[in-house]
Amino acid sequence: MALRMILGLVMTGLAFTVAGRRLAMLVRLGRVAQPVEPGRTRGGAARLRAELTEVLGQRKLLTWTVPGLAHVLAFWGFLVLGLTVIEGYGALFQRDFHLPLIGNQPWLGFLEDLFVVATLASVLIFAAIRIRHSPAREGRGSRFFGSHLDAAWLVLFMIFNVVWSLVLYRGAQINTGNFPYRSGAFVSEAVARLIRPLGATGNDVVETAGLLTALGILLLFLVLVVHSKHLHIFTAAGNVAFGRRPRALGALLPVYSAGKPVDFEDPGEHDRIGRASIEDFTWKGLLDFATCTECGRCQSQCPAWNTGKPLSPKSLVMDLRDHALAAAPYLLAGAKSRVDALAAAAAQTPLVGTDGVIHPDVLWSCTTCGACVEQCPVDIEHVDHIVDMRRYQVLMESSFPPEAGVLLRNLEHAGDPWGRGAGARTEWTAGLDFPVRTLDGDRLPDDVEYLFWVGCAGAFDDRAQRTSRAVAQLLHTAGVRFAVLGSGETCTGDPARRIGHEVLFQQLAAQNVETLDSAGVRRIVATCAHCFNTLANEYPQLGGNYEVLHHTQLLARLVADGRLTPVTPVDATVTYHDPCYLGRHNRIFTPPREILGNLPGVRLAEPERTREKSFCCGAGGARMWLDETLGTRINEKRTDELLETGPDMVAAACPYCVDMLADGVALRRQQGRAGTHVTVTDVAEILLRAVHDPAAPPTGADRPAPITADDPGRT
Amino acid sequence: MKIAVLIKYVPEATAAWRFAEDHTLDRDSVDGRLSELDEYAVEQAVRLVEAGSATEISYLTMGPARAVDAVRKALAMGGDRAVHVLDDALHGSDAVGTASVLAAALRRMEFDLVIFGMASTDAEMSVLPVMVADLLRLPAVANAVTLRVDGSALTAERETDDAIEEVVAPLPALVSVTDRSGEARYPSFKGIVAAKKKPVTTWSLSDLEIAPERVGTAGAATEVLAVRPSPPREAGTVIVDEGDAAVRLAEFLAANKLL
Repeated sequence: MALRMILGLVMTGLAFTVAGRRLAMLVRLGRVAQPVEPGRTRGGAARLRAELTEVLGQRKLLTWTVPGLAHVLAFWGFLVLGLTVIEGYGALFQRDFHLPLIGNQPWLGFLEDLFVVATLASVLIFAAIRIRHSPAREGRGSRFFGSHLDAAWLVLFMIFNVVWSLVLYRGAQINTGNFPYRSGAFVSEAVARLIRPLGATGNDVVETAGLLTALGILLLFLVLVVHSKHLHIFTAAGNVAFGRRPRALGALLPVYSAGKPVDFEDPGEHDRIGRASIEDFTWKGLLDFATCTECGRCQSQCPAWNTGKPLSPKSLVMDLRDHALAAAPYLLAGAKSRVDALAAAAAQTPLVGTDGVIHPDVLWSCTTCGACVEQCPVDIEHVDHIVDMRRYQVLMESSFPPEAGVLLRNLEHAGDPWGRGAGARTEWTAGLDFPVRTLDGDRLPDDVEYLFWVGCAGAFDDRAQRTSRAVAQLLHTAGVRFAVLGSGETCTGDPARRIGHEVLFQQLAAQNVETLDSAGVRRIVATCAHCFNTLANEYPQLGGNYEVLHHTQLLARLVADGRLTPVTPVDATVTYHDPCYLGRHNRIFTPPREILGNLPGVRLAEPERTREKSFCCGAGGARMWLDETLGTRINEKRTDELLETGPDMVAAACPYCVDMLADGVALRRQQGRAGTHVTVTDVAEILLRAVHDPAAPPTGADRPAPITADDPGRT
Repeated sequence: MKIAVLIKYVPEATAAWRFAEDHTLDRDSVDGRLSELDEYAVEQAVRLVEAGSATEISYLTMGPARAVDAVRKALAMGGDRAVHVLDDALHGSDAVGTASVLAAALRRMEFDLVIFGMASTDAEMSVLPVMVADLLRLPAVANAVTLRVDGSALTAERETDDAIEEVVAPLPALVSVTDRSGEARYPSFKGIVAAKKKPVTTWSLSDLEIAPERVGTAGAATEVLAVRPSPPREAGTVIVDEGDAAVRLAEFLAANKLL
């Protein structure tokens, strides 16, 4: 008994010392990082709900059924088997120790053994998944590509060892009469039967050896966990608790330094703009990196990774974590000169650079589509980190792909990415048979119900102009009183913000907020998913609060209210592509489907990746304005996914998506890989066709004209 | 070695321009910017400093009060200080008047090399570099694409239709650079913040000892009689492909003697 106690306590002391030192180091590393921006602790109810659904309920893991269920078994297995650990420590001091109150109940014995089986099953399923989807077999297509594979197998092996040593000890306990449960523990009982022939002494020895082995393995596992990607066992709950709610999508956060927003008019001497080095991240950022379990769900959905580009959100987070740990001795040292040379070198490696921690090609490949954030079971905020690193590169180093310079100059000087200037902003109205009311003077007339935010694409891009006319025609038909800002509109600032130029975003946004406020605008309808997102989610950061609708929302409502009546059969199979900034970022999935689903003759075909899992068209995150020279083209990949549904029409609800997919379909048609009749168009144009009465004379505008994919493309 | 870069605050090219009653551009009705072509001059100067060939950059501009925006933009790209010649009497100056003011200002500045953009993006006259060079009796190299400076001489390459000329001029010298000289940098926020602290000196005509009647509308050798908008561009020919687009396109090009 004394031997058991002494050995047990010595092992525990050793393991706790090693693990404790590691944890203390990690905590100190977190304290070197910047404080978080305000709001990370606000909204207790939403945070509690996230803990209940995402941690206890494993919601995001379960979106992948088999691996999700396996993880549920392992997670709950660990919670329940935590009781056996208490029992085991009790048994160090008192051989027949049982938990107070419920410690002898057969159901508890049964439950513990049930989760012994569950944990074992999860290990087997995880092993099978790892073999089936190993990078050796699937290459880059494997979500485990780039993960630490040996460490993962070691973890599985350790869990397996924890389980068998536990049941061995429990079986022996039954035979020696020290087991707390008379019945219920069916696995332990089976093992007991197996080792009964060892006799009383043998079982005595097995009981002690089994207990010490079980605890020993568990303690080793503890040490392993705090030194590996398996740290998520301890950090995941905290990471979810301090995550952005409801999710780290939609708005980007302003630039914070030391937990305070940076005033770009009068920046402080020591303000840190964006992330120049690892310690510029907040402690929540470092917690993100520490929590990554390398499961690769993000990687499997990333448009950049799926088209052969160097960016994997998983590798990005892993690289940042590995760098943080490599630099830790330097960052934590009082006397920097006495630090190990390797750590000092790591700490001085530039965060972004061709010889840096993150290669510029990685940084600039991101479309900010948010598929990674959506997938991540532990709520890592990849997009925010990427944009924060871009912010330093753009604002402090003026370092970005050269094409971005054209975009930024155009935004700065002309107020739009094309560089066309405000004077051309109403050209799209040509051909409409009714006048579009345009802001004239400071205020909109009181009877205007909606400000129609046309957007730069809607004003200047050929295809998007047609969408603008279709929406205007539909609103006019439905009797909605709307007006546009005309030359008073400028870019919302979305591409500037997403490329990392926060200053330019602030300038453009402030100008728009001033225009909108002085015009007395309360309700806005926008056709561009990016404008929509910025107006609705980001302008409140600058004091611009409006009720913002996407045109599919307003049009769906007008159809539902009977103010628009689709009469003409469209007779086409239509597949709908969820724009990232409408769907995933803003959860608007239903209105476009309602519109299309209610059109006579339309057969709606869902692509494989749809709704929350929709695959980016390649234009987000200012990528619309950058050359795509690495890997294959994202728009072609997405086009192929959509064409698999056998559509006559590909519908989207964002001008950039329409452009990218129209280019993709045009190419596939040229290659003979898509029917010549396949067209790409905005949902509004299809609705307009259906609303248009074929018996009525043409209205002068260009609606009934065929919608073709080989129109003049982007320039 | 010290460089003086001449920069101009011009109206935004994409904006609608309005003209005042005296036929000068109404600067209050339109946003302005650092002339895009002058950005190349700034870029070349900053590159010479980065390469260690030069030590200091001073900017010189003549323009309305808001021209200081263009100065700050240039200072954000690099450089040390600026001179802004600001005087109401300068309103309406022609090229000759402008050249005399800029030359007078340059005489009061220290420089070994003067860099101009090839033209302004508003008036597009491209005469100022040579006019100023003439007034200052400086050797002038116009429309250079590369610059190299060693202690006492400037070596520049000029691209012409037929050849690339390499021209050498003793310092002090004056050069104008084209938009093919190298992409101008995008100023960083760090640069913009630093630019706010760099000195900008304002000189009036009396500082330059120039009589007001010699410049401005009063001193201009020419007079603008009328300003009319250019006729709107006519819509082009759209060829819709009905199987014969290539043939019709070729016919169109042939008919316009483009083939």
